[in-house]
Amino acid sequence: MSELTKLGFSPGLTSTEYSLKLLSEVSESFSKISELRALTKAYSSIVSRVKAERPTSAQAINLLKDLGVEIVKSMEEKADLSYVKKNVLEFVEKWRNRIQRELSEVSRIASRRISSGESILTHSRSMCVVRTAEYIVSEDKKPIFYVTESRPGMEGLVLAEELWRMGHRVKLIVDSAARFFMKDIDLVLLGAEAVAANGAIVSKVGSSLISLAANEARVRVFVLAPTSKLSIETLFGELVQLPEGDWRRLMPPGVLYTLPENYRARVPLYDVIPPDYIDGIVSEKGLFAPQAISYLIKEVHGGWPLKTISLESLEKELSKLVGGEVYGDTD
Amino acid sequence: MEIPIRVVQIADDIKAMRIRGAGKIARAAAEALKIAAIEYRGPLDESSFKKYMAYVANLITSTRPTAVSLHNAVLYIMSKVRAVSGGVDDMRNAAINAADKLIQESIEAISRISEFGAKRIKNGAVVLTHCHSTAAVSTIINANRMGKIVKVYSTETRPFFQGRITARQLLESSVPVIQIPDSAVRYVMNEVDHVVVGADTVTSNGAVINKIGTSQVALAAHEARVRVFVTAETYKFSPMTAIGELVPIEMRGAEEVVPLDWIKSHPGLEILNPSFDVTPPEYIDAIVTEIGVIPPQAAINVLVERLGWALEEFLQSEHRPVFGEV
Repeated sequence: MSELTKLGFSPGLTSTEYSLKLLSEVSESFSKISELRALTKAYSSIVSRVKAERPTSAQAINLLKDLGVEIVKSMEEKADLSYVKKNVLEFVEKWRNRIQRELSEVSRIASRRISSGESILTHSRSMCVVRTAEYIVSEDKKPIFYVTESRPGMEGLVLAEELWRMGHRVKLIVDSAARFFMKDIDLVLLGAEAVAANGAIVSKVGSSLISLAANEARVRVFVLAPTSKLSIETLFGELVQLPEGDWRRLMPPGVLYTLPENYRARVPLYDVIPPDYIDGIVSEKGLFAPQAISYLIKEVHGGWPLKTISLESLEKELSKLVGGEVYGDTD
Repeated sequence: MEIPIRVVQIADDIKAMRIRGAGKIARAAAEALKIAAIEYRGPLDESSFKKYMAYVANLITSTRPTAVSLHNAVLYIMSKVRAVSGGVDDMRNAAINAADKLIQESIEAISRISEFGAKRIKNGAVVLTHCHSTAAVSTIINANRMGKIVKVYSTETRPFFQGRITARQLLESSVPVIQIPDSAVRYVMNEVDHVVVGADTVTSNGAVINKIGTSQVALAAHEARVRVFVTAETYKFSPMTAIGELVPIEMRGAEEVVPLDWIKSHPGLEILNPSFDVTPPEYIDAIVTEIGVIPPQAAINVLVERLGWALEEFLQSEHRPVFGEV
């Protein structure tokens, strides 16, 4: 067992990486389909897996909803398997491009907020933050990145290494030291899992504590979140469910055995940053106050009243159109 | 000058943090001075003995230059030695008696603090604690015996995972405890009734220096209107701060945070490891000491009451005293 594993190093995917992986899986599983009825099963099994693996990722949920709408639309146009498959593959390509385009726009806008010689604190590991750091490499701004190790998972080590490889000055700190260093920080940059309608942000656990400490020290907090992470459901009062883990998120079994038999751990994976602690949300459409998110939702999804469609209703509709069972997944 | 091997061992153990925690290092320092006094084999004149004891005192305090309890303990014993006007035997006895008294009082202090502290915990309480503090753990165990504790959240406390010691000790006393990562304190704070932590140092204005992360725990508690109790023996109050000295925060090695090979394979990537942070008095509801529960703003009273003799010395010397010639 490596020393890092003993410490609990087990970084997961960022939500952007998860979405990109999801797109690859969608194209792979749909290209294998040989009969129309199997569409329902393929779609449902991906939906239920995402709900179990990454229920917080608004981007993944939005992507799946778009996919469901695309399949239903294609079926209604032409109930032909190869036609639907072609459209799904095009959809995957379109979403891939969208994610890449959003990433570069968000990082371009965010990079403008970084002035020469500033100290930037970041938590966890966000692709938008990585790309922003990449963007400013050539700009001679010489920022200093303070990176928290970000337990559970410790993906901060991966981010610290990435920034260090780019040639940035990096200072790695433990999560507990965020407030200690806050007085040296000019700017906090955070990524997001989901943006709620009231401008609250779901992000890696610890983000809300850092935002609180930033607020206390009057340090600005910017969240980098493209519009594909807007959680439309929250506009209708839905709560974002925050999954939790246990000791496995903190240590390998070998370390648990050194602890008392009845040792228990509660490991929240995400938390919610209230809009009051956020100075701006950087989307590919510009920098918004968190309070203006409902406006952004309207911009992106058309006028009021918003039409929303749930994954469940999409699954049902699909099963009506092509047959096959919903939730009938046994493998 | 010949220093007893056990004294050197204790100094090494404090330096390497094999002996850690403000109370334990104070008692260890007292023990070391006591051993040094007993095993003194030098010439039987006062000035040789004083020189020898001063050398040992400096050796011990240099292991953790920022640990107030260590300095207070050494200062206390040395002041008793210096007050003796008789011969080496009297001085030796003064050192032994002072060390014994300090060790005894330090142990009694914990039981008094836990008694006072437990009273402040309400029935059905959910308590959150950070790092490992004997005084805080004793307080929680005492409150649990009184049937007041529903649940305790204990933070892991990176980089050293002292929270695991806390969890173990609480479990051994049948206290229901759940470990959380340090980053999750704000997440659970809505459920919490009291934060109970220890202290490394209390300053004259009532700020508390404690394990890194304590100040953001207190901040999150303050935001959620959760009461914060600091348990601290009076020898953790810093007389130095009364003359305006700042408490230096110890920056420890990177290898405590990540493995050595990771550090070596990332040259130039800085790893900053501050051991402590400062919790401002406005985030603290009460400091529980063995002489009573006080608001943090009354810290100066404790300093005058308990460490008045040291204050006098500091005021006269106007700098951190060294213990005679080395």
